[in-house]
Amino acid sequence: MCAFQGAGMLPVEHLHLEHVLQTVCVLESVVRRSFGPEGGQVLFTQDTGRAMLSRSGARILTALRLEHPLARMVVECVLKHSTVTGDGSKTFILLMASLLRIIHTTACKEPNVSHAYNSKAAAEAAAARHLADKMLAFALEELHDLIAVGVVPYGSCLSWEDFTTQTQLQAHANNHCVQNLLASFFHSRLGRTHCDLMSNLTCELLTHWEFENDLPSSSLHFVKDNLAALHTPVSGFPISCSRLMKGQVIHRDFAAPCPRTDRQPVKAVVFTGFLQPKLLRAEEVLELGCGEEGKQRNIVQFSAWAERSLERVIANLQRLGVSVLLSAVKQSAAVLALAAQAEMSVVECVSEDELSLFARLSGATPVTDCWMIEPEHVALLTFCRPILLGAHRYVHVAFHDSEERVTVKPCSLVICGLGEGQTDQYACALRDAIRMLLSTWEPTGVTATTASERTRQSNTSTSFHTDDQIPNAAPFKQCVLEPGCVIAAGGTFEFLLSHALLQHGSSCSICDDTMMGVPAVCQLLANALLSVPRQIYSHSPRRFLLTQTRLLSSVQNHSHPFSLAHKEEHNTILIRVGGDCECPLEEGKLTKHCCREADVSPKAFMSDSGLESVSCKYQVLLAVLQCVSSVLRVDAVLHTHTALHSQSHRRPNASWDGTDDEAED
Amino acid sequence: MALNGDDKDFEWEPPTEAEMKVIQARRERQDKISKLMGDYLLKGYRMLAECCDVCGTILLQDKQHKNYCVSCQELDSDVDKDNPALNAQAALSQVRERQLAAQSAAPSQAPELNGGPSSSTSSQASVSVPLPRPEHCEGAAAGGRALLPPPAVPSPSTPAPTPALAPPRPPVSPPTPAISPMLLEAEEAVLVKLRWATNQLQSSASLESSIQLCSLITSCANSLRSLKELSQ
Repeated sequence: MCAFQGAGMLPVEHLHLEHVLQTVCVLESVVRRSFGPEGGQVLFTQDTGRAMLSRSGARILTALRLEHPLARMVVECVLKHSTVTGDGSKTFILLMASLLRIIHTTACKEPNVSHAYNSKAAAEAAAARHLADKMLAFALEELHDLIAVGVVPYGSCLSWEDFTTQTQLQAHANNHCVQNLLASFFHSRLGRTHCDLMSNLTCELLTHWEFENDLPSSSLHFVKDNLAALHTPVSGFPISCSRLMKGQVIHRDFAAPCPRTDRQPVKAVVFTGFLQPKLLRAEEVLELGCGEEGKQRNIVQFSAWAERSLERVIANLQRLGVSVLLSAVKQSAAVLALAAQAEMSVVECVSEDELSLFARLSGATPVTDCWMIEPEHVALLTFCRPILLGAHRYVHVAFHDSEERVTVKPCSLVICGLGEGQTDQYACALRDAIRMLLSTWEPTGVTATTASERTRQSNTSTSFHTDDQIPNAAPFKQCVLEPGCVIAAGGTFEFLLSHALLQHGSSCSICDDTMMGVPAVCQLLANALLSVPRQIYSHSPRRFLLTQTRLLSSVQNHSHPFSLAHKEEHNTILIRVGGDCECPLEEGKLTKHCCREADVSPKAFMSDSGLESVSCKYQVLLAVLQCVSSVLRVDAVLHTHTALHSQSHRRPNASWDGTDDEAED
Repeated sequence: MALNGDDKDFEWEPPTEAEMKVIQARRERQDKISKLMGDYLLKGYRMLAECCDVCGTILLQDKQHKNYCVSCQELDSDVDKDNPALNAQAALSQVRERQLAAQSAAPSQAPELNGGPSSSTSSQASVSVPLPRPEHCEGAAAGGRALLPPPAVPSPSTPAPTPALAPPRPPVSPPTPAISPMLLEAEEAVLVKLRWATNQLQSSASLESSIQLCSLITSCANSLRSLKELSQ
């Protein structure tokens, strides 16, 4: 297995297809039991005695101790994927394992005998590589259309207006709303008990943060970017104590007990720097120049001057009527003393995110130069008082209404949990739910360039932000996934897509008998997809067959999913699928109208098992195919020893051209 | 390294049904290994970047920094169960396979004999296919240990092997190139003695001589076993 090569004397390990398969199968067996609505939870115990239950795939995979480079690469791919879509880590691993198994079987049966390879293993590896590349190429080109034609018509399109006016449609039978989507997400993540509560809270939070005349995805972007400042985890209370609070909660306490001020509005100023700069720091030289009369200044005079200037600043603030100072850094004792004397409260060490959110909501710019404090730096607050949440005291501010942000009612979410781990889990679930909603309402038209970017990004460890900027590009083809496209949960997507793939493969006019033809690729992909519902229904295989037959027979019976009188409107909806990607307000209302008026969707598709986002599933599939093709390209691992660490560190090396064992043409 | 390596890998054929069964069995074994490894990972074991030298499975390391191979130490070895020296079942199946192959190959073997051996001896060689003696098989099954060397030594049941004609080994005998000729001679000598003792045993009437003959047979079997171990 290990061969020493040449003068480099680095041990080279050749990776065979079986190794790759074994590694991914091991990861699959780890996550398999937590998969699906009936999956179990994993109990994590730390050496400190802390225990936590979790079902989140990303958390389980990061908790494993993996030194194998291939396993670590796969886990990194999964994590990168889940930072974008927020969901689907376990699905990723399951799909990847079944794809690799199928590729392995096919490659072993019919290796590429046309090339002269030195050994059967090399021939198999080359065949597997070709097959994976072919699958990826097919997916990038045609999968999108297949989904748009074969899956989307059997789902529904949630519109944002549905969700904001949810209070009016109280007990709608079909319940196609964002709440249902969120509820099924939280169900799979947190369990049956708290999913409704969390989905209600999330919906309320999103309702409050809606910006007028703007796309729904922009408010989702805003919430996602500022989520750390918009929620407060509080441990020690049951989750039912979670609630929304008006205004913003700043996660710091007052530096000194503040006097109660009853005047309104409360004025606050944000400082990003020190009010009294430190005089003497290490490695700095303070030069005291000559003053009047040519006398040399000394340090006492200098510090007296500094204090006088500070007093002037405070007096300026008093003149403006400021009573709260928010500072990003820790101010000196003199500042605190003077502020207390002037009856001003100081909050120190506020994080940058919170300060920027505060500045944005209040409309006041932070002060950079303390000698120039103008009225535009002053923020108007309704109140600013301490609040006790759990074991911590925070500062609660509420903003004075201004015309700019009429629709936005700033609010902050307090998430309670019984222990720290649990609270953290709920907060992570919330964050992932927002990400999932964002990827539903902003299905990116994945072009070939963005796909290749993703392959590169998934192989190297880039930061979170680089991956986040997947461009919202123009659609690659004519049809684009509608924003808000959802489908019934429980494997419906996989059943429908595999059926569509098989039909597409059989109808393909290319008479290509070799293994690499499009029909073969469709067949393999369809088989691999079915592994997901098979795992969902692993507890009762009969249900798997029942669901499959029910769906397929409905597909065959309803050539057009909406077969009732409202055919014209539905036709416009379907035509719109092929048109532009914007969802204007009128057509949004149309969807709502149609969905509400007639029970159009056959019950087969809109079952009670919840909703899933189509674009998330599509992105999982694409990401899996890209990961598989890049993993199969790795055929040698170089074990490098770094001087710093006592144990050797190993890094995988993807050799793109193969080793010298192979004879390639 | 020559680019055109083994010639036999050029002509590749699809796997036969027997091979498919082997592949299926191997896949099931791999699934079992994966499941066990997944359980260990969840228990806190560490997945190393190294593979086991014996079987090629990825190694795990427990909290006491001891390496652990799931397939070697937990599952029954894949290879051992086919080794006739360690498994009675494998020994029996190996014997039967050789028997079948000898029956089918003996007719083809006959035309290859040329030169010295007369047609009568060749026909004798072809006709008198050495059937495995019952006591050999029983000894192997009961003892469960080293099998007597298979009757691939195709000495016909004539008491004295014709010296001029070295009976050709039927093609079924597994070519064991590792066995040196000296060991082969020793085996033959022991077998001859064994045969003689068996014949004597069949015709002996006294108790004492029967016991002695039986002990002779036992010691012959023991020496054959040690010869077999030597040759491996």
